[in-house]
Amino acid sequence: MKTLLKDIFSFEDRPRFERIGFLIFIIIILIFPFIVKSAYGRAVMIKFLLFALFGVGWNLIGGYGGQVDLGQGKNVGFGAYTTGLMMLWWGIPFWVTVPIGMIIAAAESFGVAYPMFRLKGHYFAIATLCVALVWKELFVFWDWTGGARGIEIPVKPHPNFYYMQFGSPIYYHYFIFFLFITQVLFMNWFRKSKLGYELQAVRDNEEVASSLGINVYRTKVISYTITGGLGAVGGSFMTSYYLYIDPDFVMPLDLSILIAMTVMVGGGGSLWGPIIGAAFLIPLDMYLGAWLGAKKRLGIDFMIYALIMMFIAAREPRGIWGIIERIRKRK
Amino acid sequence: MELTFQLIIYGILMGLVFALIALGLSLIFGVMNIVNFAHGEFLMVGMYIAYLISTFLHLDPLLSLPLAAIAGYMLGIMSYHFLIQHILRGPMVAQLFGTFGLMLFLRYLAMYIFTPDVRSIKQGLLVGKTLSFGWVNLDLSKVVSALLCMLSFGIVYWIIYRTKLGRALRATSIDAEAAQYMGIDTKKMNSLAWGIGGATVALAGSLLAHFYYITPTVGMLFTLIAFAIVALGGFGSITGAFIAGIIIGLIMVVSGHFLSELKFTFIYIVYFLVVVFRPRGFFGW
Repeated sequence: MKTLLKDIFSFEDRPRFERIGFLIFIIIILIFPFIVKSAYGRAVMIKFLLFALFGVGWNLIGGYGGQVDLGQGKNVGFGAYTTGLMMLWWGIPFWVTVPIGMIIAAAESFGVAYPMFRLKGHYFAIATLCVALVWKELFVFWDWTGGARGIEIPVKPHPNFYYMQFGSPIYYHYFIFFLFITQVLFMNWFRKSKLGYELQAVRDNEEVASSLGINVYRTKVISYTITGGLGAVGGSFMTSYYLYIDPDFVMPLDLSILIAMTVMVGGGGSLWGPIIGAAFLIPLDMYLGAWLGAKKRLGIDFMIYALIMMFIAAREPRGIWGIIERIRKRK
Repeated sequence: MELTFQLIIYGILMGLVFALIALGLSLIFGVMNIVNFAHGEFLMVGMYIAYLISTFLHLDPLLSLPLAAIAGYMLGIMSYHFLIQHILRGPMVAQLFGTFGLMLFLRYLAMYIFTPDVRSIKQGLLVGKTLSFGWVNLDLSKVVSALLCMLSFGIVYWIIYRTKLGRALRATSIDAEAAQYMGIDTKKMNSLAWGIGGATVALAGSLLAHFYYITPTVGMLFTLIAFAIVALGGFGSITGAFIAGIIIGLIMVVSGHFLSELKFTFIYIVYFLVVVFRPRGFFGW
């Protein structure tokens, strides 16, 4: 028990400058709502934390596992729809729906992972894409999910901790921060766990890992299942925050890509990479998109995204964190 | 009876167009083992060229065919030189994201220039005319487009299997290193594969524009259809792409008639099942 707690909360194996950086980051997030009063700034911050949460979860399979999964959007959708539909139909409190959403997403991931991990590389990436698209089309097609119109969550008259509905964004800020930090701590434990080491060994060299007695297939399937569950948490948050969900909003292809991209830009396979990636991309998206949108310049923000993506793919596949590490090693 | 007949004919016609679309993807994959996510965006470029020729120059959209082919060729070569050859050395993740970035770039460039509005070609020699064979009425634009696609497919097939250039290309796809020792400039072959891939798919796009709506986001769908075809036919197989194209065309048209909301879902499911249970496809090696 003591070692478990130590594994979760201890960052001792990381260099000092990383620990100090993380501490400063946490302090900034904690005092942020008291410094920034503008509603837009707070919304950007919440979106940043949400995508950092998605990125940290996806990093498990995409970064530590090295498997390019382009279908995380479906898990976000499962979480969002589980929470949304259960609240709408039976009025079940938010905190009960989150684990159920996670279980559903994880079960689905387990089901498709089983045949899918017979594939590698490109074939695997396209297969994940196809699975996510099939789910999205089914959610549009079905009536009981509200179809393309989506569902609206009944608004409670008073702020409510059971349903996590509040009037002020400050509550949502600390709420998403809580979810985010839980996943960071989970990942901190995961990377030092047996499965975590096995997964990293599989990423680096499957044959060597296999010859060391690691069951490659099983490691990948379990990791993919966990990633599915982690993705659903953010989806549940989206339901309680936006109070409206439809398939184009919570499970589009663009979402899957953006999640993968935050990790890729920040640097996969490191604890901080997804956070750095989200800190870079989300404000860029929100401010640039708003600024250009006001000038009727549709699409330029995504073109800049695409250029960054191509540049990183060609020049620095390990992302921003790779650049930081390289600078540090040179000293 | 009439309906069945018509569905089958349309399925085959659509399949011939799909086969030409998938040809380039299969060729590129065969030669350098890289999947091009921007493939459908090349198609979209061809569609917009046909649209521009028809709407702004008031010429027949058929005249856009050579233009689209040249533009596609240039686009393919440029993508290879400015992006692909730099990401070939990197890990697979980087390759995926590189072509994905290219896809996003072209898509949103089109959105910037043409706005997200849905467009279609309204004037042209083939547009809106029907061809009657007794009791079966067929859309003339689909018939001619499909035949032209088949012709282009045949020409590329001839280049690959009957000319010296094609032999060099095939040698590169079988073993790039050995081909290099034999004095084949493999870099040139890679760039040629991208050129041919871009040209064929843009050509297919300018034909498809005769009877399909045009939006900046139309590409992704055709990229996935092309993936499904290439997976079914076997990655890198040209003959496979032709036959699988027709099969996918039939599946899409027939299922689209009965369950129009889910017609693409069937294609994704086919891809998934083929790749999982027979990764080599039907004609792959």
